[in-house]
Amino acid sequence: MKLLQNKVAELFENGTINLMIGFKEALTKQPVPCFIEKASEIEQLIYTKDCKNNLSVYLHKPEVKQAGKIGILANIATLRALVQLTSENQFWDIEKTVLTVNDKEEVIVFSDMEEVEAYVQANFPEFSEEDLKLLDYLESLSREDRWKYWTEQFSACIKCYACRAVCPMCYCPQCTVECNQPQWIKTSAQTTGNLEWHIMRAMHLAGRCINCGECGRICPVGIPVHLLTVKMNQDLFKEFGTKSGFALKGDYALNSFKPDDKEGFIK
Amino acid sequence: MEIKTITSANIPVFFNNLVKSGKVVVAPVLKKSGKVFFESVQSYDQVSTDYIQTAFSAKSVVFPEVEELFSYTKKEDGDFEFRNDMSNVPETVIWGLRPCDSSAFNYLTDFFLKENPDTYFKLRKERTTLISVSCAKADAACFCTSVGLNPGNVTGSDILLTAMGDSYYVEISTEKGKSVIDTALFTDSTEKSKEEFLAKVETKFSMDEIRERIQTAYDSAEWKHESMGCLGCGACAFSCPTCTCFDIQDEGSQESGKRLRCWDACGFGQFTRHASGHNPKSNQTARRRQRLMHKFKYSVENFGIVSCVGCGRCIRVCPAHLNIFENILNVTKA
Ligand code: SF4
Ligand code: SF4
Ligand code: SF4
Ligand code: SF4
Repeated sequence: MKLLQNKVAELFENGTINLMIGFKEALTKQPVPCFIEKASEIEQLIYTKDCKNNLSVYLHKPEVKQAGKIGILANIATLRALVQLTSENQFWDIEKTVLTVNDKEEVIVFSDMEEVEAYVQANFPEFSEEDLKLLDYLESLSREDRWKYWTEQFSACIKCYACRAVCPMCYCPQCTVECNQPQWIKTSAQTTGNLEWHIMRAMHLAGRCINCGECGRICPVGIPVHLLTVKMNQDLFKEFGTKSGFALKGDYALNSFKPDDKEGFIK
Repeated sequence: MEIKTITSANIPVFFNNLVKSGKVVVAPVLKKSGKVFFESVQSYDQVSTDYIQTAFSAKSVVFPEVEELFSYTKKEDGDFEFRNDMSNVPETVIWGLRPCDSSAFNYLTDFFLKENPDTYFKLRKERTTLISVSCAKADAACFCTSVGLNPGNVTGSDILLTAMGDSYYVEISTEKGKSVIDTALFTDSTEKSKEEFLAKVETKFSMDEIRERIQTAYDSAEWKHESMGCLGCGACAFSCPTCTCFDIQDEGSQESGKRLRCWDACGFGQFTRHASGHNPKSNQTARRRQRLMHKFKYSVENFGIVSCVGCGRCIRVCPAHLNIFENILNVTKA
C-alpha cells in the first residue's frame, strides 16, 4: 500500500496529475472508488483483489475531465477498457496516467498506451468460469425456454439504467432510450419496453464490451445482464477471431468492412 | 395504541389467515440472486425472516413503477372512450416492512395527499395495511437513529411486531390494524418492554446540528468532491422508500393507447432538461445535491418532515458506493 501511495504522491508532486481515481475502504469495509485531489488524501488509497469497479467509466465524466491531468488506478478490466476506448478515439481531451498493481504487488506506472496494450495482451483475462457455466446452461435450453428465461429476468428490470451508467463503453451523450422524437424505446418499465432496451443495449455493445461484468454485478434487481454481451464476445471470437480491448488498432466486428469477408451477402 | 402478544408458533397461522381472507399479502422473499424483495406470497413458508433490509422498499404497492392513469380507444363515431378503472385495486397487506419503511409511508401520504390529493395514491393507500416487524439486526448502512427514528418505532405502521424469543410483542396503532387482528391468536400482553430485542443502531450525526447547517449547505464547496463518484443512474431513487419523482408517458397510437405514470429520478441527466435543451441542473454535482437537499431541507420546508428515513438502501445499492450520511456530514461541516 505504501509503495502505491508513495508513487501517487510523487505524481502529484511533480505535477503529472492533479486528480487520482483509485480505491479506498468504505465504512462497510469494501473497497470503493475514491477521488484524490489533495496530497493529504493519499493515505486513503488502497488496492486489493476485491477492487472490482471499472474506474475507466469516470474518464467520461465532465467533472473528472475538468481536472485535465488524471491518474487512474486500473485493474485488468479497466486496462482493457482503456485499450478499447483508445481504439475508439476517446480521451483526446485529457492527459491520463495509468497505474496498476501486478500479481507481485509491484506498482506499475505506464508511460503510454502502447505499454498498457502490451501488459493487457500478456495478462489477457479468460472469460469468468461462473459466466461460462451460466452461459452453458442457457445454451442447453431450448430456444423457447431461453426466451422465457430472459423475459422473466427482464420483466423485473426497473430501468434504473445503472447498468448503462457503470459501463465504460456506454458513453453516448444521448442514449437511444432518451430519444423521444421519435420514441424508439418505451420509457415505462414493462416487459416489452424492457426487452427492447436490453436488446438495444446489447447490440450497441457487441464486440465492444470488455467483459468486466460490472453491469451484472451492480444491477439492483440481480439480473445477469452482462451475459448477453459476454456471449456476443464469445461468438465474435469464434466467428471472426476478434477480441475487445485487446489492441489499440483493433476494429470491432460491427464497425469493420472487409471486401474478402467470408459471408457472401456483404458484397 | 393497543398492546398484545402472540406466540411465535402462531405467527404463520396469523399470516396464512390474512392470505385466506382474500387480501393480497406482500412480504419479503429471498431470491436466487441473494437479495430480498417484497413480493406477493401465498404462505408464510415463502417469507424471509432473516434479512436486514429488502433491496427495494414497499412503496410500489401505493406508488407502482408504472401506474396506468387511463386508457383510450377511438370509437366508430370518431369520439374517444376513456377508461380509468381502479375498482380492482386489491386490499393489500404489506408484511415485514421495517420501522423506517413504515415511517416513510407518512411522508408519501403527505406528499401525495396534502395538496391536490392524488386519487390513485389515495385509493391504494386506503386499501393497504402495514404490518411492520422491528429490526433485531442492523448493518453499517443503517442510520434511522440519526434521522429521529429507531429500530422499534411505530410511526406509520398499523401493526408493529417485535420478536421477543418465543413470542411477539404486538403494537396496534390504528383501527385498520385492529380489523385484521385475529382475536383468537392474540392475548393481552404482560410484557414490559421490547427495547432489549431491538438492534443497536449507532447515531451517525445529530439531526439538530444538521438542521441548522443544511440551511447554508447549498453553497458548500464539498458537493463537487462528494458527488465525484456519482454516475447518474436511478438506483438510489428507485430503491428509496421516499423518492416520489415521476414522469408521465403516453404509449399507443391515435386509435388507442394509455397514459402512464412512471418512476423517474433526479439523478438522471434528462430529468430537468428543458425542451429547449437548456438544463438548469447541468451536471451530476447539481443533481446529487438536489437529491440530498430535498431529503434534508426542502421536504422539511414543505412538509415539516426529513424525508430520509435512514434505511440505508441507497448506500447498499449505489454502484459507486456513495454514502448519503457521509455526504451530508461533509457538506455540513462547520
Ligand atoms: S441495472 Fe438492472 S434494473 Fe437497472 S436498468 Fe439495468 S438491468 Fe434494469
Ligand atoms: S461487462 Fe457490462 S459494464 Fe462491462 S463493458 Fe461489458 S457491457 Fe459494459
Ligand atoms: S448516488 Fe449512486 S445510485 Fe444514486 S445516481 Fe449516483 S451512482 Fe446512481
Ligand atoms: S435517501 Fe437513502 S437512506 Fe434515506 S430513505 Fe432514501 S434510500 Fe433510505
